[in-house]
Amino acid sequence: MERPNPTEQKRTRAHLGGFTLTALLLALASIPSLYLILRVRSISSDELVAILARPKTVEIILNTFTLAIVVATLSVVIGTLFASLIFSSNFRSRGILLALSALPLAIPSYVFTYCWIAIWPSFRGFWAAALVLTFSTMPYILLAAFAALRRIDKVQVDVARSLGCNRFQVFTRVILPQIRNSIAASTLLVILYVFSDFGAVSLLGVDTFTRAIQNLYRASFDRQSAALLGLILVLFAAILIFAEERMQRRTINARSTARIKEEIALITKKAPKALAFAAIIAYSLLALAVPAYVLITRMAGNFQGIDLASLATATFNTVLVATLGATIAILFALPLAWTIISTRSRFALATEKVVLITHALPGVVLGLSLVAFSSRIPWLYQSIALLAFAYALLFLAKGVGATRTSIERVPHGLKEVATTLGVSPLETMRRVTIPLAAPGIGVGFLLILLTAMKELPATLMLRPTGFDTLAIEIWSAASINRFNEAAPYALLLILIAAIPTFILSRPDRQFQDEGGRQL
Amino acid sequence: MMSRLERQTVQSKRFSTLLIATLAVGASLLAGCSGDSSTEASELTIYSGRSETFIAPFLAEFEAESGIKLNVRYGDSAELAAQILEEGENSPADLFLSQDAGALGAVAEAGLLLDLPQSIMASVPARFTSADSKWVGITGRARVFAYSPDRVSQLPTSYLDMSDPIYKGRFGIAPTNSSFQAFVTALRLAEGESATETWLRSIIANQPKYYEKNSMIVEAIENGEIDLGLVNHYYIFEVAKALGREISVKDGFFADGDLGNMINVSGAAILASSKRGDAATRLIEYLLRTSTQERFVAETKEYSLLEGIAAPTGLPALSEIAAPSVDLNALRDLKATQELLIKVGLL
Repeated sequence: MERPNPTEQKRTRAHLGGFTLTALLLALASIPSLYLILRVRSISSDELVAILARPKTVEIILNTFTLAIVVATLSVVIGTLFASLIFSSNFRSRGILLALSALPLAIPSYVFTYCWIAIWPSFRGFWAAALVLTFSTMPYILLAAFAALRRIDKVQVDVARSLGCNRFQVFTRVILPQIRNSIAASTLLVILYVFSDFGAVSLLGVDTFTRAIQNLYRASFDRQSAALLGLILVLFAAILIFAEERMQRRTINARSTARIKEEIALITKKAPKALAFAAIIAYSLLALAVPAYVLITRMAGNFQGIDLASLATATFNTVLVATLGATIAILFALPLAWTIISTRSRFALATEKVVLITHALPGVVLGLSLVAFSSRIPWLYQSIALLAFAYALLFLAKGVGATRTSIERVPHGLKEVATTLGVSPLETMRRVTIPLAAPGIGVGFLLILLTAMKELPATLMLRPTGFDTLAIEIWSAASINRFNEAAPYALLLILIAAIPTFILSRPDRQFQDEGGRQL
Repeated sequence: MMSRLERQTVQSKRFSTLLIATLAVGASLLAGCSGDSSTEASELTIYSGRSETFIAPFLAEFEAESGIKLNVRYGDSAELAAQILEEGENSPADLFLSQDAGALGAVAEAGLLLDLPQSIMASVPARFTSADSKWVGITGRARVFAYSPDRVSQLPTSYLDMSDPIYKGRFGIAPTNSSFQAFVTALRLAEGESATETWLRSIIANQPKYYEKNSMIVEAIENGEIDLGLVNHYYIFEVAKALGREISVKDGFFADGDLGNMINVSGAAILASSKRGDAATRLIEYLLRTSTQERFVAETKEYSLLEGIAAPTGLPALSEIAAPSVDLNALRDLKATQELLIKVGLL
């Protein structure tokens, strides 16, 4: 009988390890959906039909979808346009423009909304929500498109030009096909985010799934109907995720060593350049200056009342638990990405989809499902660990793509060399794959970190009693209309969240370059 | 003389105290005497639907006075109620402080609350407590219309007047807010489903502006966006405080006995799963003490439910409002209210 060689054995063991961790992730990420199913099961079939047939349910579905489509369209158009403009024009201030357009990512949607209502009291309704959500999601598309643009081979552009393509044709035939998949993946995240957002839609009075679910919990303690709406949301998210997968088309990935930089300048003439510049500045002003103005004047209105000790504690807590959450998320993302790449198993691919679905869930649903699951485990319930884990589940979707793509891009040859030199698969992972994929994994980490800092509904339910984060402090003051008191916390949260955003937006870092495909 | 019921309650209370003490001693023996074995708890966990800004000074005073450390979890009353329902027997909370009676009623209905001692139940008028001793009202909040005295010359005398064409497009409501829904629930129970539906449709036809919160309505009146709106009485003070200046918006009451003047309460309840019932009882006693109640009136502008304590400055006494009697226990029945609000298109 042939003896299995030791490397083969080690590989099998590593596969088993990756598999086990993926299975664990699948089990944990399924908690919210299982919880919803359990709750819905106690509804009688008559009631079920009654809820589904209500005109309001239809309205909620329409609202949610229209809002998601409008926001996604605006974000994709503006994001791709800005990315192309910033990338292809020879602005000297490229870095600054990119950072300015990405920074709105640091502002939580509820803070955005409060600020707009403050300067414009009748700011309300569908288009108001679409505007706020476009501001807060456009940077995802922008960064993804920019990262994809940087990977395009300059030679292809030159060839196209020499074959007689004009600039527009170069864009539609050479550039767009190569950035399309990155943009599609980010658009999916934008849509899932719009599904789950509560801050903007509730303050602006737009009935989406999340607002309806929250209202049902709030006013009637009606956990069954809320769960049913949650389950419908899960269903829609699943359909979208599969649709996006079908839409992904193969892209040309071959490239020489040279890359396009300023060379494919689409706009070189003064007038259009000034126009592009003005558009980007106008966007940044609307998205950044309005909140900055409102928050700073509010804070100045109550300067004596600023409690430095509580600001410091809340900042420390925010950074601590968001960092932990992002770390846990990456620790799950790595084995998942590795299992998907090395085995292509359906099981691992399904896990990735469940993770994406979780991203569409309102924080309150995830919160309650974890309450139901963990309240019988006293050492875990309402601990920092549980809150960090909740962040990991909610936002893992933002890290999984970046991690997977960056690992996929590690040249296979290097891994084989390591193997022939007798290095075990786990060692190869640690010494070859992870260091090379680190920039991309870093992008995923920063995105999760950034989003976790802003999270509110799940934080309210799962934090340790008395554990205040910046988002909690903002909520606490704003819920009784003390916006002056909320302002310093909001400003600080934006400043802290601006740090990872700024790192993500630096165009000339390898960081971006390698990892950003599926921002 | 104690009535039989009171005696029974006291006896059952004594029994449960004994049982809890026995269990506690037993548990600490089993656990190798790791915890402290004193009968009086040194810590309490509170789920508070009341805002930190308003309630924290009171809780701090109680901590200093009693030596009991309080761990307070702040949140939205209804979300905390949903959380307690989800936690069930495993809830770490000892005490639930709620903004309104509905959330307390929902937790009581699930059988998760302890019977409160008769001494506490007797100190608050029965119409502001749960009939089965599950929760007690701490402060009162009157339903009013807030209005701009400059722009509204003819004041409404009944909630029915909100469908009067003279207010067309000039008033605000907050249909997703629990205080509005509590009012609609009271209306349903008093006047019936069809009368309530007729009223809701008539005010919708009168083109109100919709807001997410009561405070937004008051601000909108102050800004001139609308002229009046249905809110709770203390929001004019809250908004003035938040803006840091006097505002021109005033509270108005409907005619005597009109349902529009309904009184809701903020209240307290002890969780059945709590092992620190005595300490929790002490905190409720502190909240209902005359000196504490006077501070509530002065600082949060709420009504005291106790006899003989003055109303907030500038407002009529609770007894003068001539509010209709509303069964606050029934306010938990929000499901039918929501169905109705959904049916007429307000939710």
